[in-house]
Parts: sequence; structure tokens; C-alpha cells
Amino acid sequence: MKTEKFGSLKRRAIIYALIIGSVIVLAGRLFQMQILQRIEYDMKATDNSIKSIELQPLRGVFYDRNYKVLVSNVPAYTIRVTPAYYDTSLNKILETVIGTEPGYIKTLLQKNKIYSKFLPVKVRRGVDFRVIAWFEENSEHLTGVDYIIEMQRFYPEGIIASHTFGYTKEISPEQLAKEKEIYKPGDYVGHSGIEKTYEKLISGTKGYKYVLVDSRQRQISRYHDGKEDLQPVKGNDLVLSLEASAQRVAEEEFKGKRGALVAIEPSSGEILAMVSSPDYDLNRFSYYTPKTFLDSIYSDPFTPLFNRATMSIHPPGSTFKMLSALAALDMGIITTSYTSTCGGGFTFGRFFKCHGNHGTVNVVTAIEKSCNSFFYRLIYKIGIDKWKEYATKFGFGNLTGSDLTEEVPGLIPDENYYKKRYGENWPRSIMASLGIGQGEVSVTPLQLALYASLIANDGKSKTPHVVRGYIDDNTEKLVSLEYKEINTGVSQSAFDIVKHAMYLVVNGHGTATHIKLPDIAICGKTGTAQNPHGKDHAWFIGFAPYENPKIAIAVLVENIGFGGTHAAPIAKKVIQAYLNSFKGEGKTFKDEVAVVKVN
Amino acid sequence: MRIDYNIKDKFDFGLFLPALILFGFGLLAIYSSTVNNSFAQENFQRQLVWGAFAFIVFFITYSLPTNIFKSFAIPGYLISLLLLLAVLAIGRQISGSKSWLVIGSMGFQPSEIAKIATIMAIAAYLSRNNSNIDSFKDILITLAIGVTPVLLILLEPDMGTSIVFMGVILIMFFWKGISSFSLFVVLSPAFVAVAAIFGTIYFIVALALVIVLLVTFKKDLFFSASIFAIGLSSGFFADYVYHALSPHQQKRIQSFLDPNADPLGAGYNTIQAKVAIGSGGLTGKGFLAGNQTQLQFIPEQWTDFAFCVIGEEFGFIGSIIVISIFLILFLRILKLTYNTKDEFLSLVSVGILSVYLIHFIINLGMVVGILPVIGIPLPFISYGGSSLLVNMFMLGIVANLYRTRKNYT
Repeated sequence: MKTEKFGSLKRRAIIYALIIGSVIVLAGRLFQMQILQRIEYDMKATDNSIKSIELQPLRGVFYDRNYKVLVSNVPAYTIRVTPAYYDTSLNKILETVIGTEPGYIKTLLQKNKIYSKFLPVKVRRGVDFRVIAWFEENSEHLTGVDYIIEMQRFYPEGIIASHTFGYTKEISPEQLAKEKEIYKPGDYVGHSGIEKTYEKLISGTKGYKYVLVDSRQRQISRYHDGKEDLQPVKGNDLVLSLEASAQRVAEEEFKGKRGALVAIEPSSGEILAMVSSPDYDLNRFSYYTPKTFLDSIYSDPFTPLFNRATMSIHPPGSTFKMLSALAALDMGIITTSYTSTCGGGFTFGRFFKCHGNHGTVNVVTAIEKSCNSFFYRLIYKIGIDKWKEYATKFGFGNLTGSDLTEEVPGLIPDENYYKKRYGENWPRSIMASLGIGQGEVSVTPLQLALYASLIANDGKSKTPHVVRGYIDDNTEKLVSLEYKEINTGVSQSAFDIVKHAMYLVVNGHGTATHIKLPDIAICGKTGTAQNPHGKDHAWFIGFAPYENPKIAIAVLVENIGFGGTHAAPIAKKVIQAYLNSFKGEGKTFKDEVAVVKVN
Repeated sequence: MRIDYNIKDKFDFGLFLPALILFGFGLLAIYSSTVNNSFAQENFQRQLVWGAFAFIVFFITYSLPTNIFKSFAIPGYLISLLLLLAVLAIGRQISGSKSWLVIGSMGFQPSEIAKIATIMAIAAYLSRNNSNIDSFKDILITLAIGVTPVLLILLEPDMGTSIVFMGVILIMFFWKGISSFSLFVVLSPAFVAVAAIFGTIYFIVALALVIVLLVTFKKDLFFSASIFAIGLSSGFFADYVYHALSPHQQKRIQSFLDPNADPLGAGYNTIQAKVAIGSGGLTGKGFLAGNQTQLQFIPEQWTDFAFCVIGEEFGFIGSIIVISIFLILFLRILKLTYNTKDEFLSLVSVGILSVYLIHFIINLGMVVGILPVIGIPLPFISYGGSSLLVNMFMLGIVANLYRTRKNYT
């Protein structure tokens, strides 16, 4: 009953062609995907299911010079949020539980919008275990929230040294952009102090654990039983030159005072103690730093974040008298037999006052008694440019090149400086003030400590530094870092005379006899930096023992008055603490196996 | 050898074996994709039970007297319409569509039954002695028979099954002997409608094409104008329907146009399916060793995306074997369809062939990313009781045809 058209051969052929055609198209497509583009798809499949989990390396530990641990690591819980899975309605409850200010998470997520939404954002480091317990109980409601265990800094000795150690901070987008291959968003990097200077050495190398994850990012198993995993490499431990007991005493002495202290081992340039006060609690920086805390630090009129030891500049006052003395002795302008009469002051255009009438003084008594008149006169004999030349030999007017992050050069004026300022006929009377370390001359506590070291060690020392070296992880031995040698080239006899004078300042009839000790021969010099804005700043520089000095020191106490009264006792305590550290427990320096040049 | 010959004469292994092998591949794919999934582990056993049931249905259908199909065509069609109405009233909603009738713990999709019921109804209508396929009346009534279940299914909403119906009706028209002009009349509204979904420019281009064809066919002006008017209105209707679609279906259409636009949303399945198949390579990663499958990157992979398991774990070779088996099956049915001289049975047979073929093309096209994600299963392979049952029932009809073919020549 078939009509002509019904089920014709032609129509069968068309359906036949449809079947064959579709099979060919599908087979061709499969060939394209499975044979031609296989590698590409394979990589995508691998990306899908193999996830690398970063293993954070341990940050290197900081030892003091006697291998006491000053800075170490402790495990801490970090709460994270993965924006892709996270429901922002949880913000409020999460903020309450982890104790951050309202709106904190929102701001944080906003900031991290530039990164992949699958990248977890660290919300809060160092949370209490109580928070983790709460999290575990409620985890099914907290999608997109997890926690990891991270290491955070811990300060077992209770030594603050905030400006020296510095702190770590979440990496900034700018730094991240520069060092993409090393860091990831959320990584903590050294932000100040040694943590910053030695970041590359102490941060170690990240490791990676490979796991298979399913479509919900749940871990199913280790990839290749962990055979491909890379263990993290711990950062190198640093051996600092700081000495724990001296540092502790220095910090205690500065409680409630403003100022700075730098103590250096004269022969090596190693910084034994360094304080800038007020300081801040590094523990507050080791994990979550509340905004209120940061605000209080930033708005503090006494600028706790400011490192006074390397950044504050003041006239050195009478501590600078040794510089003129050394210059004049070295140049041969004077000898100990050269004398001058004080008479309570000096006239050059106008009258320059001395703080007493010291009668006839030579260079030694002039230092011992801190006679201004003697040094008013002396600088005119030396000449301003020659004076500057000697100041430069002792490191003034330049950065010391220490391994501390921030430093300023200070200022040593010369003839050009005044010509620029006052013209060709600049008033020469200005020079008189420079002779006693007042006026435009300005120095940092670190520079004065280096100066004290150079005097103590007869003109030779090394660039001041806080890091002696690092421990080689294979050999467990100290690899010393080598620092540049400094040699003033000033004659030995000049040093002998000046050092003797400094000995008399404390042990004779000088301005700091109140710090004289029966067992330690301290040499020193007081100074007062005139302060047009308020009370004068007190200086003391010194070294001990007189023979074979082990420690040189510079102390600055701001807005407190005369140096001998306020700065010298602090120096004495630190010197005592340091020299006493040699008694008792024997030194346990590890062998030095290698020397690495810095600079 | 004589007995062997007799069996071959009555029973077509060329139909049965491909179905059996495909079912076997399906079981492997279902096992592999559910073995690590605690929510779907039972699906393998369920499919086995459904399979046993379906093969029984196949043999029963095979043994029935052939003339029973035609007498049952109209009542069967009416029952299936009732079931489709029932599902809209009391059906259960699963993943956005209300397409399941649940009896006890067993779910059933009436739209599957509607497929074969509609095929038989259309075949019965078109094989009347006085039918004229090119008459306006016959086209309209056939369309009415076909489109009624489609509308009910669209209400569920299940776009995939509706598309299958359209294709089946079209192929049956074609087989019946529709002239190219009538085919054009039937097709042009659908063509314009699809173009309208793609955008205004496509819509205008499609209308222009319709005008060009109308001019070439040289029919009278009034008739041509009405065809054009129907095309135009169907374009607006499609646009209206598109906006009335549920958002997840709209997204699927959009994500087909650009799957990477929303890689975790609607385009996710396509991307993951392609990664699974592509990474299978020539020989595949081995049974139970495909990362994409075992780590469940493709949601509900045992249903519409079951072919991904084959592609990933058995590679290009496995995929080609499966496709070749389908090819053998299709050509076998086509041959039988052609040889069947009874119009009703031949039309039923071509309808069944087109169901398989359209499922095959759309499902595989979707899995390999050359067609949009339209949720329809791959015959004999995908997990699903109702579809397996109906597929085996339909295959039973074809096998029945083979058994009694000599009575109708």
C-alpha cells in the first residue's frame, strides 16, 4: 500500500546520510579532543584534581652572642576565609568570635579582591584555642572558613629590642608584584629591623604537599603517596651580636625615659645592646594587630616606631671635645704641654661662656673638666675644614653602613656649608660653638657609639652591626659575616692622651665621677645637647675597661638636663651587666667555619 | 546448524547484541562514577534491576502478536496524555523539573512513555488509507497529535524531551513522504523561532531566508504571505517563551554560546565533561582510574554525562567502539524500516530510530561541547529506569517486526 514517496530509497539514503554524518562529526570531535588536544585537557584535569598545599618554612631563630634564644617561633592558629565559598553574612559572628573590630572582614576581603577568589585570605592570626573549638563545633555552618596552623614569632627572653628585631607583616601588594615567584598573598615578610634586612636569609624556602582533591576541594588522598612532595627548608638561624643581659638592663633602665643607647664591642663593631625608647611590644605585631593599637602607636607624640638610636639627630655637646683634641694632637698643633687659661669664657666677636672658671688647663684637664674655653680656642687653631675631615674619619656626617634598616647621616658643617648659608663673610664666631659640639653639628647615637669604639680601640673598628652571622644548617656551625674595617689613621699617642683624659672624667676629678666603680675602670665623657625646644638632652659616651676595652657605649636621654647626672648611670649599669656576663657561664661560641663578605 | 539458522531467522542479534553491549558499557560507567559517591552508590544495583526488568519487557514485546500495536495505538496515546497531566498535578520535582511520577520508592517519567505512544498515534494516523501528507489537514492533525504531549512536557518544564519530540515528528513526516515545500512550511516557523532566540540580527536573517525560499517555491501570494506571517509570529513567540523559561534553562542556552563566561555556573558541566573526555587520550586512564570521574568533577555523571566516564577511562578507542555500536544499531533499524512494507509498522520503526538517533546526537553533542547542555540521556547507557525500560520496549517492537517481517512483505 506504499505511496510512491513513502519510505523511498532516496529518503532512506538521506536518513542514512544523517546517521553516518552525525557519527563522523562526533568521531572527528572525539579525535580532536582525545588525540590532538589531549595534552591540553590532561593538564586541565591535573590542575583540577591535584592541589599543591604550601608548607611554610620555619623562620630562622635569633640567638644572642652567647647562643641564648632571643626570637623563636611558636605554633599559632590562623583563621582563613575563602571568598569563593564564603558567605559574607557570617562576617558579624566571625568578627565577634575572633575579636576584631566590626567591618574588619569586609575591608579585608575588599582589599583581597585583586586576587583569585579561591585563594584563602588570612583573617586573623594567633587566635585563641577557644576560637578553634568553637569553629570545630560549628564548622558545617561556616562554609568557606577554615584554619591552619602557622608559626608566629615568640620572644622567650622577654627582651623587646623592638627596633632591632623588627616585625613581620602581611606582604604589601607592591612588594608582591615585585617578587611574585617567592611570595603569595597573605605571606608574612620582614617589615622592619633585622626581620627585614635579613628576610632572604631567614625566611627559608617554602615546601609543597600535593594532594588529590575532589570537585568540592575535599582532600581525597596524597598524590603519588607524597613522593613528589617538597619539604620546606627552614630559614637560617641568625647569631646576633647582642648580649642578652646587657640588652635587658638597657631596656629596664630606659623604662619611662626617652632616648637611645648603643653599646658596641670596639674591636669588632658588634653591637652589644641597642635601645630606642619608647619602644613597642613586638608580640602585638606577631599576629593580628588591632587597628586601635596601631592608631595609638601612630598617634603617640613620642613616636615609639621611630628608631632613635639610628634616626634621631642631636648636637653631640661636650662628647665632641675629644674629636677636636684628637685632631689637634694628631696634627701636631698641640701637645699635653700646651695650655690655655679658662677665665670662665672666651671672646670671639662676642663672649662664649664656660660653665666654670677652670684656670690654666691642658688638653687632659680640659676634657676631664669639660672646659669649654679650651675648645672654643682650639677649633680656630684646627680650622673648620680640617675639623670636618677628622669628624668624617670617625664616621660622622655619613651613614655608618650598619645592617639596621634605617639610618640618617647627621650633619658636620664645613666652610662651604656656612658660605652657602651666610655668604662669603660668614661670621667666624659660629665656629666656637662647633668646638664644644653645639650649633649645627648633629649626630646619631649610633655614630657616637662608633666614635666611642674608635677611641677605645685606638682608631680601629668595623662597621657597626647586629648580626654576627648565621648558622649553616648542614654543618651547624656559624658562618660569620665580614664587615668593613674602619681605620681613622690618627696617631696612637693622641689616643693615649685622650683615653687617659676620659679615664679621669670618671676616675679623676671629672664630670662623671659618680659612676666610678671599684672593679671596672670606666672611661667616659658627658655631654649636653642644647635643645631650643625644651629641656636639654643628656649624653654620655664611654668605654670600659680602660685597658683592653670590651665595650664602648653612647647614651642619650632626651629632655632631661645635664648628661653626667642622667645618661652616665645608665651607661655604667649596662657596662657592668655586659662585663659581668663574662663571669659565670663559659663562652660557648661555635666554631667559625666560613666568612661571608657584606658590603 | 539448522537450529542456529532458525533462531537467526526469528531473532535479530544485530538489534539485541548492540543494546546488550551498550547496556554493559552503561553499567561500567555507572559503577565507576558512583563507587566513590556515597549518595549514589545504590544506582549501580538499581540499574541492574531495571535492566533485568527492561530485558523482560523486551522479550515480552518481541513475542506479542504484531497487529496488537496498531490497535493499541490510540488508547495508548490517550493514556500517556493522562499520565502527563497527572505528573503536572501530582508529580515530584527533581532538579528543577516536575517530570516524575513516584510510586513507592520507584520514580517514573511519563514523558518517556509519551514518546512511543505519540509515535504509534502519529503512525496510525498517517497510515490511513486515504491519508495525504501534503494536505493541510493531515499536517495539522499530525502536528496536533505530536505537539499536545510536547506542550504538556514543556510545562514540566523539560525542554530536552520536547526537542526530541519535534525531531521525531519531523522524521516521521519525512518518511511518510512529505514534499519539500510542505516540509518547509512545517520547518520555517521552528527555524525562525530558533534564530529569534539567538538575537535580533539572526531573526531578521532567518526571515529574509524564508522570503527567498517562498519566492523560489512560487506559490500563490496569499499562501506565501500566511507562511511568512506564521514564521514572524513564531519568532516573537519563541522570544516570549525564552523569557518565560526558568532561569537555569536560559543560563544553559547562554552558556552554550560561551561556556567560559560562567565556568563555575552553567558552563561548568560542559567544561568538566570536555576535560574528562579529552584527558582520556587514546587508550583512556583505565577503569576506575579517571580523575575527573572518581573525584566527581561532573555532577550526576551517571545520568546525562555517563559518556564522559567512557571517554575518560576507556579513551578514544572505547569511545569509538561505543559510537560504532550505535552506528550498527541505527543502520540495522533503518534497514528493517525500509524493508517493512506495512506503513504503520515502518513509521513506528522510523519513529523509534529517530528517538534513538536524536538522543544520541544531542547527548553526545552536548558531552563533547558542540551542542548546548540539554538534559537528555544516552540510550541504553545513561542511568535511569524509565528511559531504559521504554528504550528496550521500543527495541522489542523493532525485534517483533523482524520476527514477523515475512508476513508483511
